[in-house]
Amino acid sequence: MQKHHHLRPFLAFILLGPLVVGTTTLHAQEADDPRLAFFESKIRPALIEHCYECHSVEAAEKGKLRGGLLLDSSPAMLKGGESGPAIIAHKPAESLLISAIRYDDFEMPPSGQLPDSVIEDFEAWILDGAYDPRSTPTESMKRKIDLDAGRQFWSFQPLDTPVPPEGTSWSQNDIDRHIESRLNEKGLHGNPTASPRVLVRRAWFDLLGIPPTPEEVTHWNARLSEDTDPETPINRLAYSEMLDTLLDKPQYGERWARHWMDVARFAESFGYEQDYNRPNAYHYRDFLIRAFNQDLPFDQFVRWQIAGDELAPENPLALMATGFLGAGVFPTQLTEAEFESARYDELDDMVSTTGVAFLGLSIGCARCHDHKFDPITAEDYYRFAANFTTTIRAEVKLDLNPDENQKKREQYEADLQRLKEALDTYESNTLITEFQKWLDDTPLDPETTAAWNLLSGKLSSSANSQFTLQSDGSLLATGTAPAGEVLTYETEIGVSNATAIRLEALSHASLPRNGPGRAPNGNFALGDIRIFKVVPGESPQRIQLARGQATHQQNNDSLSIAASLDDNLVSGWAVDGQIGKSQAAVFWFEDPDELKQGDSIRIELELKHPNTQHTLGCVRFSVSQQETPPIEVGIEGIPTKVRAAIEAQIAERDPDAESWNVALGWFRGTQPDWLKLKETLDKRGAEGPPQNLSTVLISSEGLPHLSHHADGRGFPHFYPETHMLRRGDPEQKVKVVDAGFVSVLIPGNLSESEWRLSPPAPDSRLSYRRSSLANWLTDVNEGAGALVARVAVNRLWQHHFGRGLVATPNDFGEAGERPSHPQLLEALAAQLVAGDWQLKPLHKQIMLSQTYMQSTEYDEERASIDPDNQTWWRRMPRRLEAEAIRDSMLSVSNTLDPRMYGPGSLDANMNRRSIYFFIKRSQLIPTMMLFDWPEHLVSIGRRSTTTIAPQALMFMNSPQGRRIAESLYEQVVALESKDKLEQLFLRCYGRPPSEQEARISLQFLQKQTKAYSSEALNDTEKRAWIDLCQTLLSSSEFIYID
Amino acid sequence: MNGSLNSQHDSRRQWLSRAGGGFGLISLAALMGDEGLLKRASGRERDWSQRALQPMAPLESHFPARAKRVIWLFINGGPSHVDTWDYKPELEKWDGKSIKEFAPEFENTTGFFKNAVGNLMKSPFEFSPRGECGKRVSSIFPNLGKHVDKMAFIHSGYTESNNHSPALFAMNTGMPRMGFPCVGSWATYGLGSESRDLPGFVVMSDPKGRGLPKGHAANWSAGFLPGVFQGTHLRPKGDPIDNLKRRSGQSETTQRQQLDLLQQLNQQHRESRLSETELAARIESFELAYRMQSVAPDVMNVEQETQQTKDLYGVGDPKCDHFARQCLLARRMVEEGVRFVQIYSGGMENQRSWDGHNDIQGNHTQFAGETEKPTAALLTDLEERGLLEDTLVIWCGEFGRLPTAQVASKPGRDHNPHCFTAWLAGGGIKGGVSYGESDDIGYKAAVDRVHLNDLHATLLHLLGLEHERLTYRYNGRDFRLTDVAGRVIREILA
Repeated sequence: MQKHHHLRPFLAFILLGPLVVGTTTLHAQEADDPRLAFFESKIRPALIEHCYECHSVEAAEKGKLRGGLLLDSSPAMLKGGESGPAIIAHKPAESLLISAIRYDDFEMPPSGQLPDSVIEDFEAWILDGAYDPRSTPTESMKRKIDLDAGRQFWSFQPLDTPVPPEGTSWSQNDIDRHIESRLNEKGLHGNPTASPRVLVRRAWFDLLGIPPTPEEVTHWNARLSEDTDPETPINRLAYSEMLDTLLDKPQYGERWARHWMDVARFAESFGYEQDYNRPNAYHYRDFLIRAFNQDLPFDQFVRWQIAGDELAPENPLALMATGFLGAGVFPTQLTEAEFESARYDELDDMVSTTGVAFLGLSIGCARCHDHKFDPITAEDYYRFAANFTTTIRAEVKLDLNPDENQKKREQYEADLQRLKEALDTYESNTLITEFQKWLDDTPLDPETTAAWNLLSGKLSSSANSQFTLQSDGSLLATGTAPAGEVLTYETEIGVSNATAIRLEALSHASLPRNGPGRAPNGNFALGDIRIFKVVPGESPQRIQLARGQATHQQNNDSLSIAASLDDNLVSGWAVDGQIGKSQAAVFWFEDPDELKQGDSIRIELELKHPNTQHTLGCVRFSVSQQETPPIEVGIEGIPTKVRAAIEAQIAERDPDAESWNVALGWFRGTQPDWLKLKETLDKRGAEGPPQNLSTVLISSEGLPHLSHHADGRGFPHFYPETHMLRRGDPEQKVKVVDAGFVSVLIPGNLSESEWRLSPPAPDSRLSYRRSSLANWLTDVNEGAGALVARVAVNRLWQHHFGRGLVATPNDFGEAGERPSHPQLLEALAAQLVAGDWQLKPLHKQIMLSQTYMQSTEYDEERASIDPDNQTWWRRMPRRLEAEAIRDSMLSVSNTLDPRMYGPGSLDANMNRRSIYFFIKRSQLIPTMMLFDWPEHLVSIGRRSTTTIAPQALMFMNSPQGRRIAESLYEQVVALESKDKLEQLFLRCYGRPPSEQEARISLQFLQKQTKAYSSEALNDTEKRAWIDLCQTLLSSSEFIYID
Repeated sequence: MNGSLNSQHDSRRQWLSRAGGGFGLISLAALMGDEGLLKRASGRERDWSQRALQPMAPLESHFPARAKRVIWLFINGGPSHVDTWDYKPELEKWDGKSIKEFAPEFENTTGFFKNAVGNLMKSPFEFSPRGECGKRVSSIFPNLGKHVDKMAFIHSGYTESNNHSPALFAMNTGMPRMGFPCVGSWATYGLGSESRDLPGFVVMSDPKGRGLPKGHAANWSAGFLPGVFQGTHLRPKGDPIDNLKRRSGQSETTQRQQLDLLQQLNQQHRESRLSETELAARIESFELAYRMQSVAPDVMNVEQETQQTKDLYGVGDPKCDHFARQCLLARRMVEEGVRFVQIYSGGMENQRSWDGHNDIQGNHTQFAGETEKPTAALLTDLEERGLLEDTLVIWCGEFGRLPTAQVASKPGRDHNPHCFTAWLAGGGIKGGVSYGESDDIGYKAAVDRVHLNDLHATLLHLLGLEHERLTYRYNGRDFRLTDVAGRVIREILA
């Protein structure tokens, strides 16, 4: 979070300090120098006592420097601060220091004027030349970090398992015993248990973020009240069962994933001026919801977010988790000069977020210098950053419903098999019978000789397009169309005296807009067609084409059939205007005698139009012996070769002869039943097995990066090495650093290699640096796992109680708060680890504690001892967050759309839970922002809660709020007045109205109805009821939970 | 405590109960006593929890303020200093020559379009001496030039990015990255607002459909400060503030009756939770909202001004009507105690703002024409009403422009982060002075260079805030608007 672009004047001075020391220094060591004695006895002590607090490097490090003025070295005094030099040697009257301590100008020191004698000492000193041996500040800017001492800090200790103290009957579990012990120390005691209704509502909001329905309240209120007495005011068994029920509900994941999204600064756009969307980023949010609902062990939760792509590449959930690293902002509009600093900023985002989210440590503060409070060096920072050196955002296709999709694939294969069998059965039975009968009955008529004779050959592509032979002899392209290609067809001429050759461009359901081309619009452009006669051992001989004609051409000019015969490789036959239809082009040979039966030819189709992908999707070639063959698609009549085969079979029936297959092959094409069966099979076969893959934004290495605007100028996305930088400035590289961790969290006798993991193969695209980091992060015994566990349970506690045991959830360092109950924090962390890092049992234990179950009741006497409730002597009511307020309004009015997962929405009026808002950094949802929604730019450990008039305006006047009030009214419209009121209170508050509330509500309805009547409005009573609904939704009780 | 209600000391609680009807006007500094935010000189969450009840209540400054409020005319897109206020006779001599002759270190990456760097180009505008101080001013400011004796010019500003949004962020927040609080947020965080019925920090953007400044709302973001300190963006079309209008079908009577019911329920809810001061604040917030409904539209209705005033600003003049209304509204708002008003001249980039890549002459003629008469009127009006002495007016964009031509159909000028000009006028400012100098052709800030942090430090100083003491602790660090730097430019202070 430090500025790094410029070397600040002040810092420049520090670095240059020693160079500008006056010559007097050389003599300074002479002990008998009277000037030295004077300085040491009079001047130095006065400066230390009266000035250093605000004017020293030490003060600067504490943020207490005033006026940019340092008085702790000679050069600094001569240079001075914002107002100019502090002293001018030999000239006390012109020295600011003197006028300041004389209170002429500044009044220094502010605590009170110095004695005259001291002032005179300073004047004398300056008059004498201001002799000063302090060439550098006593405290150097570089505070030496002592790792061994640093490891003694409370949060860096190994995990302890404290024995809980004794407790009274107030305590229900060990949590309470820790709490009670602290209460006792202070002479306090906790509150009694809250009422069943309050507990039901409290649990619903804490775990699900929505209120219980009237039925749920009634049910659990009754259950929780079963078999109770003043000693046991709650049926704990029923309460425990209720907690289990709630923890199993899918809304639990939606509630708790949202807490983590704040920590992960998760949003779905790049930020900055263009703020491009990341439409496939939502999978990270879905991962969170699933992870919480499945109770994914928290250590795995951590590992996957850091390195799921390396640790469990086969698991879509693990890949989705890596969205964590790439969720930060990035300025996609960059000039070249900004590339490298932008990448270091991106690394900083990953380092900072990883640091505060998992470790509660502001590692990012060590970017420009060693950390000011915590034992984290700048080198630690850059080594930590090096874990992410090659990490980039990438999109991958994942099967997110493997089971369901596998079933669909199996179903598909079965379908295909069934169709194949049907065709086989037909071919081996009916078809043969029909064919025999036809041979018996059908005399061959010469008129039925076909004009076009199909060629069969081999088609290849310069761009490696793949083709499949269809039953009609055509060749169908599969896969993705290349930008351009040359197709080469090699075949033998089956007839003598061929007059013309025909190229059919056939439509097919698998082609864009049914083809016949492969361009997105279904078109193609045949730049040129070239035919060669191929004789082995000789160079190919070009066959001249006289002219061409087509069933359709796009125009008469550059996209005509003639254009395929010019020398221009770009202009050529295209067919827009008749997209989706099969087309044919006929080309006449210049010399019909040139090609003999059995000659080998090669046909080249030039398909490289500047409009990319204008290539052919389905082709077929045939030749004719007729002078003027029809310009048409398809083959009418019997081709020459077939006719000969049929004649042979008529002469002598021989199923083993080649002619049988040729004749039968042609005959089946005349049978509607066979055509139908074949078409069905082909169509299904062309569909291919269903994949249903989803595009997911992940963070990984060695994959094509997610492209964005900065690519236009050639942004490299990462640099292969990470350097340690001076002052965070990429222009000031110190050295290349290897990946590493935070030294203070590694025992002195161990090295980082303990956690180092290597890629499974030497040529892996993955470095496994992040896996190593994840390994260290979650190692409780010797790595950072103890701290990770403390930070995690503290977040859990915070969301159940409103404040963590450590009140600064993102700062467990020196500058953060100390735990209010260190033993309890330790016990919970140890329990998390012992319980396989699962959160749900911990939720339950917390919620079963008396500390959690106690009432909010206030007590002056105890409040006077602990006004801020640091000891948890009562529960504190809390305002709901933006999401819970909105979700509750939708929920009680029965307008909440419960659909889970999938892309989010930017529509402020959508009815899904608020976690499904698309988080676009430049278009944050206004109503959410009103209630302290974060800006989603940096990790937020704890939201602020403000109370401002625009919130009130929202409740009073927003059209959406009014619509919800109308829907709420619809829910009760059919009931009698009294029941209406009761239902509304039950829905909104989880309790029936008090007598007084019922009375003032009914009075209001009367008054309001009357007012509307006097304003000559219709539906007066309905309006009044909706006003009442809106009032309940706006009330404090609706959004403050006891 | 964030996310939870506070139990307060007895005396404070009773005081709040007594004050229930309207403690918004009472300085919160009194409430916070010796442990108060300002005395502690840090915004620790502990302190914030107290303030959350009345976050915009006015606070005392660190020392007596010279300016109580700020109007920042944001010259969006990057005005060309050599064509506006920074007269460069030498540039005429260099006209048509390569900048490399003048500045061999010139890099093509200085501007944004590295392939369109032309030769040095003199200003297409005449400069003539104005005011008593004789400041030479471009001919595009016929009216505004009359006020040079009120202005202190900074000719040696420089910034950190040659790219709009990072430069906008830097100018607004001190950091070229997203996520930091802007000046207006820091000012209201430090001082609250003196207006009860209006937002403390208001932003107006181009109403002519030319878009928002690049980076959008991040330019008036509160960053990591509590969201309440973010600027309120007045929507240029339609209702300027959300939910300010009563829905149709609801009269003052029926709304008041509805509110009375709500307040009865809220009061009753609060009675069994008297320790929760937030609940009292919430009750008050509804009353405040109720008043805002009538007061805010009233303040925002510039039609209430006299014809003479409207004419002065240029209301009705098709060239500058939109900016005239915004300037007039800014005056009405500061009159009501709004702490910080920012008006963006122009929309996004290129021809939609001062971003004159193409045809610098036409571009600056147009945008000066849109703004200079209203701006001049604002200074006149504030002075006549006695507001100028404690209202700071700033004219500044996100960077300057190069002295070279950008090759285009008509020559333009590209971005220049190395130098820009800003002027300040009003509360605490010495008029008719110029501070700092650019080099002979206006390529780089040369003498007495002024970093953004220095500008921000000066601004806070004028508001009575010591920039080194106005801090907010976030994720383990005390953050400042001026980060680790900043120097108050005392030379321009009155």
